[in-house]
Amino acid sequence: MQAVDGVSLEVPRGQITGLIGPNGAGKSTFLAVVAGTMPASSGRIAFDGEDITRLPAYRRARRGLVRTFQLPSEFGRLTVLENLLVAAPRHRGDSLWGALRGRRYWGEDEERLVTEARSVLQRFGMSAKESDYAGEMSGGQKRLIEIMRALMLHPRCLLLDEPMSGVHPRVVAEIQHYLQTLRAEGLTILMVEHELHLVEQLCDSVFVMAQGKLIGSGTMASLRRQREIVDAYLVG
Amino acid sequence: MNTYYATNLLVYAGVDIIACLALNLQFGVSGITNFALIVFQAAGAYAAAVLSMPPSSSPDYSFQLYVGGYNLPFPIPWLGGALAGAALAIPVGLVVLRKLRSDYQAIALLVTSIIANTVITNARTFLNGAAGLALIPQPLDTQIDPRSDTYSYFFVGLTAVAVAVVWMIAARIVNSPYGRTLRAMRDHELAATALGKNPVQLKMTVFIVGGAIAGLSGAILAGYITAWAPSEWLYPETIILFAAVIVGGRGNNLGAILGALLVPVGFEEVTRLLAAARLRGRTGWLTGRCSSQRTSTGASRACRPWTAFRSRCHEGRSPA
Repeated sequence: MQAVDGVSLEVPRGQITGLIGPNGAGKSTFLAVVAGTMPASSGRIAFDGEDITRLPAYRRARRGLVRTFQLPSEFGRLTVLENLLVAAPRHRGDSLWGALRGRRYWGEDEERLVTEARSVLQRFGMSAKESDYAGEMSGGQKRLIEIMRALMLHPRCLLLDEPMSGVHPRVVAEIQHYLQTLRAEGLTILMVEHELHLVEQLCDSVFVMAQGKLIGSGTMASLRRQREIVDAYLVG
Repeated sequence: MNTYYATNLLVYAGVDIIACLALNLQFGVSGITNFALIVFQAAGAYAAAVLSMPPSSSPDYSFQLYVGGYNLPFPIPWLGGALAGAALAIPVGLVVLRKLRSDYQAIALLVTSIIANTVITNARTFLNGAAGLALIPQPLDTQIDPRSDTYSYFFVGLTAVAVAVVWMIAARIVNSPYGRTLRAMRDHELAATALGKNPVQLKMTVFIVGGAIAGLSGAILAGYITAWAPSEWLYPETIILFAAVIVGGRGNNLGAILGALLVPVGFEEVTRLLAAARLRGRTGWLTGRCSSQRTSTGASRACRPWTAFRSRCHEGRSPA
């Protein structure tokens, strides 16, 4: 069985692109294949014009292609601040030798990154929670932690897997606002989402998948005019 | 409580603390369920033994068969023990840690532990098989009389220095950004990968560092009890260390130390009292055990507290 079969799409730079489709369409699998957390049996993935098909997931992340997960994936026994600091790249203390050389060697980097992480926390209104364990946060807060953590990597492209699922409407509005701000700052986003009104408000263009195949693309308004897509997914 | 008993207890506590710090780095901090930890301790013990012993062709050692025998002075055997533990971690880690999921890793390591013990037991020409190695020279035993109280204090001091060094290494790792990354990998490996962390490299590194620390603990133990045999490092020994780390508090170096003190010392002291109650009238097991270590005749089965406990339980169940 092929979860994703012959899907070919291009995500424009600096835009939010939506990926929608019924359950089991292969959207999350496609995202995982692009991020490298799941291997592709065939095909080609290019990022910024460069072939990254053979790169492992951690190398793709280091190049700025960062994903979040459908299910909460916080580091539960780390604090919220630590969750953000883990993601920070280029830390002198983040290697065995750096660690063994002691705080004098990496303390400066730590201070710089703590300041950066706190500014991200402040931006997302999570400053008061920085010392709490991430595992004790609510579903919505865990979503925010994932997005903040991804931002600490200074991504060039963010792959979001249902960032609004299970989130309180107030937090949904906040996440929506943050995503629009990130787009204005030039970040490219590919987002899998089931809430079609959010996709309509947020996404510049949308791709539709069903049974592992790409069945359409365009704006939500144009997709609503295509009968086979309405029949396959947009009914109701 | 005589001096020998007290120093014996302190050396064992030191060895257990070192082994628990290694296990805490691997299991507590990084999430690697290393059910083969005792194999790395054994590798260190055997390496230290063959580095410090003369060749098996020497007159006093001709009753046993083993490879090597380099007669090297202290501290080379201890350093060699640590290196052996690290070196063994490379092939084992490459086989076990790259492709297998964590639960399968645990099973594979448990099986590795059993296979390694069986191979060493049956390959007599390699490290003297089931009988094990005896008459392992003690550190600086030509400078200080190893039967004296001074030597006991000296050995406790050496062990304390080793504990301090290992503690410093473990503390620097755990309390650093690197330790934070290891804990993140333990909590959610895939998410850590998606944030640019290479889990195989992280696991291999911590597996090798833990292997080196476990190897050092084995080198200290072999140098202290002057004997080492396959019965010393059966897989349940690893379970005891897991119990210590879990009781003390997984992921915390101080907890690992507390667990090492609670579990082995608990075994040591409680079983001593049980023995006094159950085996009243018999020869004190403690005296017998200490003398077997002193004379270094290779009767090492009763050297470790819990091994002695198991032996005595078994003895108690056997028909008289």
